[in-house]
Parts: sequence; structure tokens; C-alpha cells
Amino acid sequence: MAEILRLENINYSYIDGGYERQILKDLSYSFEEGRFYTVLGPSGSGKTTLLSIIAGLDTANSGEIYFNGQNVKELGLYRYRRNAISIVFQAYNLISYLTAVENVLLAMSETDNKLPADRKTVAYNLLSRFGIVRSKADRMVNQLSGGEQQRVAIARSLASNVNLIFADEPTGNLDTATEKEIIAIFKELSHDFGKTIIVVTHSDTVSQMSDQRVLLKDGKLHTL
Amino acid sequence: MNFVNRAFKNVTRKMSKSILLTLTFFLIGNLVIIGLGVSNASNSAKILTRKKMRAVVTYSLDYNKIWQYMDSIEDEDEREEFYNNYPRITLGEAEEFLKDTRVKTANAVSTNMWYMDHMKSLDFVHLNNQAEESYDGEGNCWIDDDGKERCYKSPTFLIKSNMFSSMIEFEDGEFKIVDGRFYNDNEINSGDLVCVISENLADYNGVSVGDDIRLSFAGTTFGGMEMSDDDTEAVFEVIGIFSHNHPITPDSSNFNYCAPYENPDNMIFMPTTSTYMASLAYNQKIFDYNREQNPDDEYYDEEKRPTEENMMENTYIENVTLLLSDPLDVDKFVEDYKNQLSQFTSLDANNEEFKKLAKPLDTLSMYANFIVSLVVINAVVIISLVTALTLKTREYEIGVLLSIGASKFKVIAQFFIELALVAILGFSLSVISGSLIAKKIGYKVLEYQIASSDIEEEDDSFDYYGEFDPWSTNYATEITLDDLVDEYEVTVSPLIIAEIYILGLGIVFISVIIPSFMIMRYNPKKILMNTN
Repeated sequence: MAEILRLENINYSYIDGGYERQILKDLSYSFEEGRFYTVLGPSGSGKTTLLSIIAGLDTANSGEIYFNGQNVKELGLYRYRRNAISIVFQAYNLISYLTAVENVLLAMSETDNKLPADRKTVAYNLLSRFGIVRSKADRMVNQLSGGEQQRVAIARSLASNVNLIFADEPTGNLDTATEKEIIAIFKELSHDFGKTIIVVTHSDTVSQMSDQRVLLKDGKLHTL
Repeated sequence: MNFVNRAFKNVTRKMSKSILLTLTFFLIGNLVIIGLGVSNASNSAKILTRKKMRAVVTYSLDYNKIWQYMDSIEDEDEREEFYNNYPRITLGEAEEFLKDTRVKTANAVSTNMWYMDHMKSLDFVHLNNQAEESYDGEGNCWIDDDGKERCYKSPTFLIKSNMFSSMIEFEDGEFKIVDGRFYNDNEINSGDLVCVISENLADYNGVSVGDDIRLSFAGTTFGGMEMSDDDTEAVFEVIGIFSHNHPITPDSSNFNYCAPYENPDNMIFMPTTSTYMASLAYNQKIFDYNREQNPDDEYYDEEKRPTEENMMENTYIENVTLLLSDPLDVDKFVEDYKNQLSQFTSLDANNEEFKKLAKPLDTLSMYANFIVSLVVINAVVIISLVTALTLKTREYEIGVLLSIGASKFKVIAQFFIELALVAILGFSLSVISGSLIAKKIGYKVLEYQIASSDIEEEDDSFDYYGEFDPWSTNYATEITLDDLVDEYEVTVSPLIIAEIYILGLGIVFISVIIPSFMIMRYNPKKILMNTN
């Protein structure tokens, strides 16, 4: 399979109490298209930091990130976030004063990717595919349950028509049944729609359902 | 779901916040409208009153400076030298001012009382008042010690002569040429004996344009000299006839005491050089007589003898009054020339009284502007704080928007539009209420300001000549406090409304930009980590 994301010699450290803490150390790794990855590691190992850096939310001290062979720095972080990737957060991070469908439309309005003309219909269809029916799609997001909100967040991540989706503990706030449903959706997205899913998780359930488990240890990624 | 749409939804769906902010802007708007309304009314009243005043600037010798300088001279010879070269205003200096496009015309006026000729060929216009009962225009005659008859002639005409080919009186419509024309530069330069007389004087004497009239400019005795009627009379061509709007009627304040020469009908306009040329032979005779009597006096040296050639040097200009096209240019005009004036001359905008009377309005305007500034500064601080607190609760939203690739510009623009929408609503409501409150408060504060300003108006209880003083060379318009107060009208003009919105949007912009950048300096990860 073709490579979608390549990390080369990523280093990240910060000063804590006068001491430098090295989180990522010469980290290099390659992610392939259409696969579902889970990144595992003990608390404080730097999983969320890694995700932030590869999602363009933060910058590494050194090292390069290549998306489809193009250096992300050259692409520009804003354009990278807008057109290349999307992120699903543990706390959903939906906009509270917007309805579910408006949250999905929000992602569509920001991307430069080519989208169908009738965006609203597409947004409703996306939500519907993840079990958010029309009546719920028109509700304010804080009137939805946690699982429903996470589905909206996933629908939003797909709305901008990107191939690389990151998720940070996406099931951390959900019950086991809902967790399984969400993971099934991620699997479907990678296998049926060719999306690359990279999920940072503590959950064995989630990791066991992924195509590739990767361990972050001593500042490096190790394929398990 | 672009940023404008998002802003609109935020405003409409977070109602309590929007109402509170609208109320805040409404209160700010009211205070600003009151301040701007009062300030605008004060400034407008000053401008409108100033526009009603004649735009005159007086160029004259500054006697205070001259006296101070003279006091400072200790050396007698030096003082003598100064007396011999006493400062004077020259025609050239006045002509320099006329080159300025703001100047319409100038008056360098001399006023003289003249007489009917010995044949009384031109009779003055009679008022048949008390003054004329004891005044027949013939004067008083008496027999002197040598047994000769001496006569004192009574003046009948007022000669107003100018060094320029138009006059302030004619430029602003007080006097109007109804037949013929005013004298021109050629006639001034050559001292031609021409004149412009009143319509009533012309009718009374059956004189038309093109006719000659004979006038007497002096008595027939001068010291020990005897003068003939021919020596003291000259013939002038009537080149124009004027009408005026200062008729003397039995209702006029000075009717009974008005001497013939004080009646504008008996006023005659001519170039100053004409008066010089008319009396040249007479003055030469006097000069020669005096030189004979005082052969050693330097004052009567040959080069000082009045001649046609030294006419201009011998034409004395006391002051020059410049008429400007726009009354509002007066202060700027004086300011522009302030540094170009010679040591002993001054330019006076003639508006000291106006400035004194306008003080309550100035104070009011100053306080109003101060209040507006204070409100605006407070508004920026309050709205910035409110926005900062609001944005703090929306940090996560900023993080989410940035994480999906929204630019910082779009995020700030959304917050700006949100605040601008409520600001526009608040200000629009305040325009209605503010204009009503401004009117009520505006007049109250002016009353209070006038009462506490302790202005003493000049006492004008005795005004002999009423509104027209034939002798006056002061062309400045006198105003009263009432003139200013009459023009004071507190209205909320479209300009103020525009100012309110511009100011409001400025407040919104600053209020959004400061807290936004406080948050935006973080990267999205930090914002999201803070909120999570």
C-alpha cells in the first residue's frame, strides 16, 4: 500500500522544573493509506503530543513530516489542517451554539477540497450514516448524548473529504457498547473508504480492533 | 457555515449575552450622542454666528509695540531718528494682502468733511430736523480785528475716500451702485477728480452720471492766509450713483441731531488720491506760505513740498481693513501672516468680543468632548474585558476552529461581526433615545454654563448713530450672547450618527482584537489542552 504520512527524525522536548524532558527522540515512522492504526503507550509517553505534532496542531523541535510525499512545512500548517487531515477529540469539541448538521457544515466551509454542491444534503447523509437521524441532526449538539456527539464529530471529520483522520482517545468518554460502535465506524472508514485512521488510545478493545498497533516508547514508535 | 453565518447564529442563539451587550452599547451610545450632540451644537453655534459676522481683518500699526519700543530708546538722537522715520503702513503692504485669494477687497479709508461751493451749486439733502434749524449750511460770519469779514463754513458732505477700486460697503450690499460705476485703479493712480454720489443727492440736485459737481474742501482762511473760492473748490465728474440701506428717518435714533454730513445721502465716495489732487494747489500755497514764515524749518524743505509726483508717498494710510470671502478663514488668515508682519504692525481678526462671548460654548464643547473621550476609553476597557471574558469561555471554540484549518483572520472576523451586530443594534436604539435626552440636557447645561461663566457684555445702551455710523472705519460686526445662543441647537445630525457607528465599530474592533490576540498567540494544541 502507498505511504500517506512519513515522520522523519522527529524530536520534541520541553523544560519542566528546570529540566529538559525529551518526549520524542529521533522518531521516524511511516503510515500507509487505508489502514487503521492505534498508537499505544503508557501515560506521559507523549501520545497526545505526537498526535498534536502530526496533526499540525503543534510543531516539533526538529524533524520533518511528509504528507503524500510533500513536506508539511512547505504545504503550510493551516492548509494541511484544512485540506489534508481531520481530528476527532476525546471531548468531541463541537461548537455548542450550532446544531449537529451545522457542525458538519462548518468543516465543509473551511476546506478547499472539492465537495458536492448540495452540502447540506451531504451533511445530513453523513450524519444519517452514523446514526444521527434528521430530527437529531437539527438539534443543538449539547442536546445529544456523548455517543451521538462523538458520531457528529466523526461525521464532521469526514465532511471535508480528507484521507487522513486522527483521533485522540475518541472513546474515552463512552460506554463499551458505544466504544465498539465507534471503532466499527473507523474500521469501515479505513477498509471501505480508503481512509487512514490513526487513533491514540489506552483501550485494549480499540487497539485489538485496529489493523496496526504501534507502541510509543522511549520517544520512538515501535510496530507491535 | 461561513464565519458571518456563525456570527449571526451565535448572536441569535446566545440571547442573554447578546441582550446584555446590546444594553451596554445602548448606554454607551446614549452618552456618546449626548456628548457629541452638545459639542456639535456648541461648535455649530460658533460657526453659524461667525458666518454672520463680517469677515474683516484689520491691518494697522501696533501702537503698544511702538510705545514700548520708544520707551526702550534711551539715546536722544536715536529717538529723534525713530520719530523722523516713524512707522507707517504702506500701500504696497496692503496690496500684498490683496494678492491672497481669500481677500475680496480692502478699505484704506479716509473720512473728511467737505462743504458746499460758494455758489451752492450742489445742495445737500435736507432732513428738516432740529440740527438743520440752527444750521443753514452757510456757516457763521464775523468781523475780525482788522475789520475783515471772516466766515466759518459748516460742513455738509462726508467724503469717504479709499485707495482701492472697491469697498467693503459695496461688496456686502450695504451700498449699491444703481447707475454708472465705481472708480477704477487708473483713476486712483492718476488722482482723477471723479466721485460717486447718492441717489437722493443726485435726484435732489438733478445730477446724472457724467455731470460735474463743484465741492469745497476747505475754508477760505488759513492762519494768516487769504484763499479764494477757486483755491478751495474743485470740480468732480460724477461717474456713479449709489443707493444704500441706511436711510435716516424721523424714527432714527439720531434724527433730530443728525448733521447733514452724517446723513448717508450726503456721503460722497472718491479715491483718496482725488482728494489729494483736488487740494494740491491749496496745500502747495499753504506749504509755500509756511516755508516763507519758517525758512529754517527742515519740515518745509523743497523735497517735502506736495506735488503730483509725490502723491502716493504723501497719501497717509491709517489702517487697512481686509474683507475676506469666508468668515471662517479669518483666524487662519491672521495666523498665516502672523510671522510675516513687520515689527510695529498687527493683524486683528476683530473677534475678541466673539471669543469672549463664545467662552461658555467653548467650555461646554470641551466638557462634552472630554465626556465622549472618557466614555469611549471606558467603553473600550469594559467591552474589551467583557469580550476577553467571553472569549475565554470560547477558547475551545477557537481551538476547534483552528484545528479544522480556519484562519485566525476568520476567527477574529467572526467575533468582530458578533460584537458589531449587537453594537449596531445598541447604537441604533441609542440614536432615538440619545437625541431626545441630548436636546433636554443640551439646553440645561448651556443655561448653567452661561449663568456660571460671568460674562459681561459691553454696554451698548447709548448708541448715537444706531446701526450705521458714518464715521466708523471699524467694519467688524458686533454680536451679542443672544446671537450665539440663538444658533445653539442640539440636533443629532447624520454626521453624528455616522460618527457614532464609526466610533462604535472602532470600539468593537479594539475590544475584539486585544483579547483575540491574547488567545491566538497560543497554538491550537495549547488552546485545546487548556480547555480540555
